[in-house]
Amino acid sequence: MKYLRLLFKNLLRNKRRTFLTMSSIAVSLFLIATLQTLLHALTNPPETPDSALRLVVRHRISLFNTLPAAYRQKIEKVPGVESVVGSMWYGAIYKDPSNFFANFSVNTDQFFQVYPDLKMPEDQKEAFVKDRMGAIAGKNLADRFGWKVGDRFFLKSNTWPIDGVEVTLRGIYEGGSDDASSFYFHWDYWNELMKQQYGEWDQTGTFSVRVQSADDVGRVAEQIDTLFRNSNSPTKTETEKAFVLSFVSMLGDVQTFITSIISVVVFAIILIAANTMAMSIRERSREIGVLKAIGFRSRQVLGLLIGESVALALGGALIGTLAARLIYHALPLAQMTSGFVQSLDVTAGIILSCSGIGAVVGLVSAGLPAWQASRKPVVEALRRVV
Amino acid sequence: MKIPVRYNVRSLLVRRTGTLMTALGIGLTVGIVVVMLAMVRGLDMTFIETGDPQNLVVIRKGSANEVNSYFSRALFETVRFLPGVARSSTDEPEAAGEILVVVNHKRKDGSDSNVIVRGTSEMGFRLRPDVRIVEGRNFRAGLRELIVSRALEHRFADLGVGQSVEIDNVDWRIVGTFVTSGGAYDSEIWTGYQDVAQVWRRPIYSAILLRAESLDDAQELIKRISDDQRVQLDALHQDKYYADQTFASSIGLKVLASLIAVIMAIGSCFAVMNMMYGAVSSRQQEVATLRALGFRKRSILASFLVESAVLALIGGAVGCLLGSLFNGYSAGTANLASFSEVVFNFRVTPDILLLGMVFALFMGLVGGLLPARRASKVRLIDVLRQ
Repeated sequence: MKYLRLLFKNLLRNKRRTFLTMSSIAVSLFLIATLQTLLHALTNPPETPDSALRLVVRHRISLFNTLPAAYRQKIEKVPGVESVVGSMWYGAIYKDPSNFFANFSVNTDQFFQVYPDLKMPEDQKEAFVKDRMGAIAGKNLADRFGWKVGDRFFLKSNTWPIDGVEVTLRGIYEGGSDDASSFYFHWDYWNELMKQQYGEWDQTGTFSVRVQSADDVGRVAEQIDTLFRNSNSPTKTETEKAFVLSFVSMLGDVQTFITSIISVVVFAIILIAANTMAMSIRERSREIGVLKAIGFRSRQVLGLLIGESVALALGGALIGTLAARLIYHALPLAQMTSGFVQSLDVTAGIILSCSGIGAVVGLVSAGLPAWQASRKPVVEALRRVV
Repeated sequence: MKIPVRYNVRSLLVRRTGTLMTALGIGLTVGIVVVMLAMVRGLDMTFIETGDPQNLVVIRKGSANEVNSYFSRALFETVRFLPGVARSSTDEPEAAGEILVVVNHKRKDGSDSNVIVRGTSEMGFRLRPDVRIVEGRNFRAGLRELIVSRALEHRFADLGVGQSVEIDNVDWRIVGTFVTSGGAYDSEIWTGYQDVAQVWRRPIYSAILLRAESLDDAQELIKRISDDQRVQLDALHQDKYYADQTFASSIGLKVLASLIAVIMAIGSCFAVMNMMYGAVSSRQQEVATLRALGFRKRSILASFLVESAVLALIGGAVGCLLGSLFNGYSAGTANLASFSEVVFNFRVTPDILLLGMVFALFMGLVGGLLPARRASKVRLIDVLRQ
């Protein structure tokens, strides 16, 4: 501890170099924190106690195959099932086709039993269920497009052969396992438009099933799939989390890609930091000789130099990751990325792991030059002119 | 009077280790940017290079792509016999009605993805002359036989010639592997139109690919089909149709690439600054001597900028070299327009390498500016007094 003062004095002796090194480490760790957060968000969809009780039933071949709406009644009869909601991707276009957002037509009668985690005033819930042309949106989505309760708009579809739906926003919800970023309206309304087009329809995309207890999840999923195994539309039932993750897995090599970038960036900052430490240690070789001449041991000198480097890198890492946290909280990310990124939450865990990376960078980068300097005989160190 | 560049090169050589580390740091930054650009380019080119402007893709109005499109068989007959559609030597209209379904399948690494199965006909092959069978033979219609693109066979499990896959309770036998000249069809499975229509019980078409007699006829046909309110179809040039698909697949990667490039560039600028400040301070006497010899401040500023630029360009060259190693690297991700796998190759093109070098030069100049200014301000009297 008594060496701490010396350590900091050394850091402050060349303020500009310390500032520059720290900045480049901070900027790099800012990037690493960003990538880690992105990766974390991709692989760990937000979970609520309610989402753990939800199953998603889809067509076994792929999401592009629809299921008969009548399956709903059959699924309801499976023991352990509490309530079922059919939902269908609508493919809404709001103003610009590149405004991507999640939007579904759903059965509204049991909607809030299956999704109790969507927090919304009771009168808004009621208004939504009652109005066949009503709709609700998550708060983040509503903020992104500037929607208010009572707004009416016309939404075309890029998926279905209908002109579009005209809906009134009846409520704005918070919470949910979708980061309050989805849009829901009545399946009945959409189904009727489809019937006008095709004569008959009554199809839906997936069923969200709420089960009574978490212990039932596996059994209920199996029973549902058995029920439809030999029908024209066999099903695949999985937990909501697995369902969301199956979308992520479609992105394929993106995960590998992000991980590789993180490793290359780490390697690059080690180079930068090592270069600085080497420069600063070389300049100080005479001083190190003096320290040893007045009785400092090699080990102490080594500790001092490495401590200095670790403090520098750790400081940079903390600045970078904390800046990432503050900046991503303040920015309207969903708006800036047309909905591809809803939010980036730099968690305490990520700050910790980035600090770890910072410490390792400090340790590794100072290692060789510090070891060489600490081992140098006093006479030689003193003789050398900078 | 100019200071010769040789002076700078020698100076860099004297500080070999530092030069090497900084150059490698810049090299990694440039390398990452080159690889990311090569990836985005590869993904874009996969779509852009598909198709011929004289061919038209006809899909249902309002659907963004073939996967979301479907229309009755009668419409195919209407479109096929429109004037302007090319005729073969046997006076058959050169138009292929096709059906597309998306099938969930596992990659070799066990992750889930979607694959497009295209039901086509003899005419479909004639309109896409670059599709060649390289292993096995072509499918025979009605026998539930499949041919698989080589790229998909490499990425997905159980898609080799001789294997069978079960889709919708029917066993399909893989009888051939095909290659294309590297377009969007490289990520598909092909079979007969009737096979798909029967197994999926969908007596519909998803899309029509047709050849116009000339480019003018193509224009004429587009107007005629798209303006006809009764058919509710859209016709697009085949190349334009695929070019339109690029946005959805690569926008996320583009945003990520630019973010990483900007952040890494800032970090690298700091590193260059650090290195150059070090150079300036350790060469104060040299600079003073140059001034005493009669070199002007401007020359010294220019000289240090040149040195920093040379350093950065060495890094840039290293980065381009590293990046080039990834040329042809094959990866896969989801086409977010159809949620199905698209396999593509990284492409390192001359313009990307040029951009990498310009990027390096930019970092060198920005990072070198302040240190060079400082060098030019070294006062003769201060140095001589030391």
